[in-house]
Amino acid sequence: MQEDFHYYATYCAAYLAGYSHEESLEIAYSAQFVDLCSRTFLSKIGAPLNAATTQLQLEMMDARTDIIGLQDITRIWAAFHFLPQDLYAQKPRRSKRYMQKYRLICGPNGDLLAKTVENARGKSLQHVGIAMHVLADTWAHRYFAGTPSLVINNTEHDFVELLDVDGEQVERPVKFRHSPTAADDLENGIYTNSLFQGNENSIMNLGHGRAGHFPDYSFAKYRYMPAWGDYQEIEKDNPADYEKAFAQMVYAMKFLRGELEPGASSAGVENICSGRGAEVRGAAGEGERIGSYSCIQGARCVFFRTGKYDEEVLDKYGARIREILTKRQLIASDDWKRFGEELSGHTVEDFDIEKYQEQYVNATKDGKDKTFIGKFIRGAISQKGMVTEEIHKSGNMHAGFSKLKRVRALG
Amino acid sequence: MTRFQRGKLLVGGTIMLAVAGVMLFLPNVTYNLIMLFLGLGFLVSAVSMLWYYFTMARYMVGGKMTLYKGIIFADFALLTLSLTDVPRLYILLYLAVIHGFSGIIEILRAREARLNGTKRFKLKLIHGIVNVVIALSCIIFVKNTNTAVFIYGIGLVYSALCKITTAFRRTTFIYIQ
Repeated sequence: MQEDFHYYATYCAAYLAGYSHEESLEIAYSAQFVDLCSRTFLSKIGAPLNAATTQLQLEMMDARTDIIGLQDITRIWAAFHFLPQDLYAQKPRRSKRYMQKYRLICGPNGDLLAKTVENARGKSLQHVGIAMHVLADTWAHRYFAGTPSLVINNTEHDFVELLDVDGEQVERPVKFRHSPTAADDLENGIYTNSLFQGNENSIMNLGHGRAGHFPDYSFAKYRYMPAWGDYQEIEKDNPADYEKAFAQMVYAMKFLRGELEPGASSAGVENICSGRGAEVRGAAGEGERIGSYSCIQGARCVFFRTGKYDEEVLDKYGARIREILTKRQLIASDDWKRFGEELSGHTVEDFDIEKYQEQYVNATKDGKDKTFIGKFIRGAISQKGMVTEEIHKSGNMHAGFSKLKRVRALG
Repeated sequence: MTRFQRGKLLVGGTIMLAVAGVMLFLPNVTYNLIMLFLGLGFLVSAVSMLWYYFTMARYMVGGKMTLYKGIIFADFALLTLSLTDVPRLYILLYLAVIHGFSGIIEILRAREARLNGTKRFKLKLIHGIVNVVIALSCIIFVKNTNTAVFIYGIGLVYSALCKITTAFRRTTFIYIQ
């Protein structure tokens, strides 16, 4: 996804979930900031480098692909951009080595998504923004993994775009080229992608690099043969998926605001934990979680339900949202911005990466945590640690180890 | 990293240091050793490609290509191991091109990193300069054919030290809740 969805659409979703204009802007800013908070940026402002939520192209070209390098890459990309859908997925007659990569494939409504949203509950608006970025990307980046892997992320020549021409669906082959400076050509269906590298762990095989930015366009409908798919084709309908992403963001933010307390029809599940783990068993239905989770003894836990969407918002604004999502354009920021301004009646300022830098740089050592970027850093480290820990707990070493340090939440 | 991974790095690094020591102190004997290493390098690549095919790539769409590449590399390995006399000049030119190219790339990346505002570009710049110096040495000392041995040996020492340092690095991610 791009700035149009992570910043402007997230603003709209936050406002519709009940946040004020100012709060929505902070959430949207944090959601977009996830795509910009690189080690280079953190080094520039003197912030802890382990809070990086993305890697610049330049950093990726330098990234090591030994075990430590791979774990570092996976921690960043799996935690923030390609949240694994099922860390315990099964596939017959596959080697353990293969399955460790296969289980990192991103997708919506997984257990880790629920944990991501729960992890942001009662935390700062910055943490909420981070969670919304992760949630939205589970829809855009599904079927790709946040770790370099040829056997998972490679795409072949069988890649067609599905176009609506006079009400009929027409197929057009997508042409990929490796020309980083050239803009994607929507008219002729020519997109920039990463070079083919036969090395399993080459950085070129990270995420959807082999399909370029194409999966990030909200209008894109395509069919292709994923490397992991046993020669079966997959059809991806971005407008439909992005619509669900939007409705799920509204639902998740209502949950985070405490508007979906148990008792309401679409509430989360509440449980007082024994400290030895809690079992959550929801009513049968799509997206319900069944499993056990470790918690703090005596704590009041509210579990986020996956597979739920804010239908009210879709009933009211569905047509408008679909209109923006299906419009063929490189970036839909203007349309989302207009929609956001109509909703709130306020001007939605453009994203400015330097907005909070000075505040952080000028803060005292003790005061840094209370700044906007300081709170973002806490949220980022918390999210990264949680995902690392879950991946490690599943017996998968691709994200390495993590160690928990409990600190008082800043709110 | 697991203890096994750390141990592997440590043992690998130590062996590389020992081999580099032999190369640097006995340059005349070790020229053939370099050819042997190149051949073994191909052989290891071939075996790992075939291993990769049987454990990973055979489940992948279009994965057969890895199998063919593995077989071709095995052929290269056998060919290189069977060569007994390659003019040393070619080895030096090969090293000069490799180091020159990586040096220029490193310097360009260091420049890009500096333009992006990071303060961590100096090590990259030094790497780039060292690589360019090595490339120039290969050309300047082309008549002294032991140069290849020294450059190869120094490269091994560097890689060995990197491995050993990595084995002791703290890799646990500390997170907060």
